[in-house]
Amino acid sequence: MSVEPNDEIRDPVLQRAIAELQRPVTLDAEVERRALDRIRAGAGSGRRFQRLAWLGAALAAGIAFLLVGHPPAPKNPPMVSGTRPVLIRLAAPASRVVVVGDFNDWDPSATPLRRAGDGATWTVELHLKPGRYHYTFLIDGRRWASDPDGPRAVESDFGAPVSVLTVS
Amino acid sequence: MRAGWMVLLFLTVGGQARAQDHRLTDRLDPATAAAVQRVVDSAAHEGLPTEPLIQKALEGGTLGAPGDRIVYAVGALHGQLGRARAALGGRASEADLTAAAGALRAGLPPDALQRLQSLRGDRPLVVPIAVLTDLVADGVPPDEATRSVLDLAREGRADEAFMALREGRGAPSGPEPGGRPPLRPAADPPVDR
Repeated sequence: MSVEPNDEIRDPVLQRAIAELQRPVTLDAEVERRALDRIRAGAGSGRRFQRLAWLGAALAAGIAFLLVGHPPAPKNPPMVSGTRPVLIRLAAPASRVVVVGDFNDWDPSATPLRRAGDGATWTVELHLKPGRYHYTFLIDGRRWASDPDGPRAVESDFGAPVSVLTVS
Repeated sequence: MRAGWMVLLFLTVGGQARAQDHRLTDRLDPATAAAVQRVVDSAAHEGLPTEPLIQKALEGGTLGAPGDRIVYAVGALHGQLGRARAALGGRASEADLTAAAGALRAGLPPDALQRLQSLRGDRPLVVPIAVLTDLVADGVPPDEATRSVLDLAREGRADEAFMALREGRGAPSGPEPGGRPPLRPAADPPVDR
């Protein structure tokens, strides 16, 4: 490697010093081995850092999946603390059956029953807190029917048959 | 000055609008909703539960009852809840009061509820009262039904024993939690909507 003299510096002493500093350094073999060991060790810690980074990214992705991309909700509503599952059933030839009552604001669109495998039984599972509830069925959107499995309400005020349900 | 009165009027009317239960205004005609809301407000002022009153009104609305009938039914329930609270005291839960109101309507005397409460202590009353009501509704004389239920309460029996008493009397068990009663054909012909 040739060293070009610096034309802007006229002082010969400074020129020699600069030339000396620019001269390639030949390291002792032992020193070079130690230096290379250090470099390899540094590369190793970099790989560990890389592995940690990947692990962190995977963890973050998992958390994001749980928070945002959670699996679809089950068909039945989740249990609410203090509630008990109650199976409502009705055997009726119908194309649509819904149940309305104190537990769903008497809303005919809130709780449709599902047709069971036999084709004639309709069921739905509710989750209710302890208490006494009034309810009735709406069959095909035009007929009211009480629950043949449940006690009839004494306080049926509006003409339609109403059943009562007690949850302990 | 006039602007100040307008603001006061706006705030008053706005406050009343906020106090209205939207379920009533959404599902009932305005006059019926307003009349029911007055009963609900009165019940709230007396410290009575209001949700059973709202549910009664919604029941009437869904079943297509005329407005005056809905208001009458809600007012009657308000009175029954008041009598139930007088019988059970101010510490009774909403569920207990609602069950007790039904029992009083079925013709059971308030002192039957009081005796039951004294035997049960702090335990919920919903199931014993419901069984008592169902037995009476099923034709069991009130004295006999009361005696049977009080006997179980005196023995400190659990809710399941009361349920068994009702089923033992031949009353329909209903869709109890965990229970899968046999299906029976509809006992009554469905009522057209």
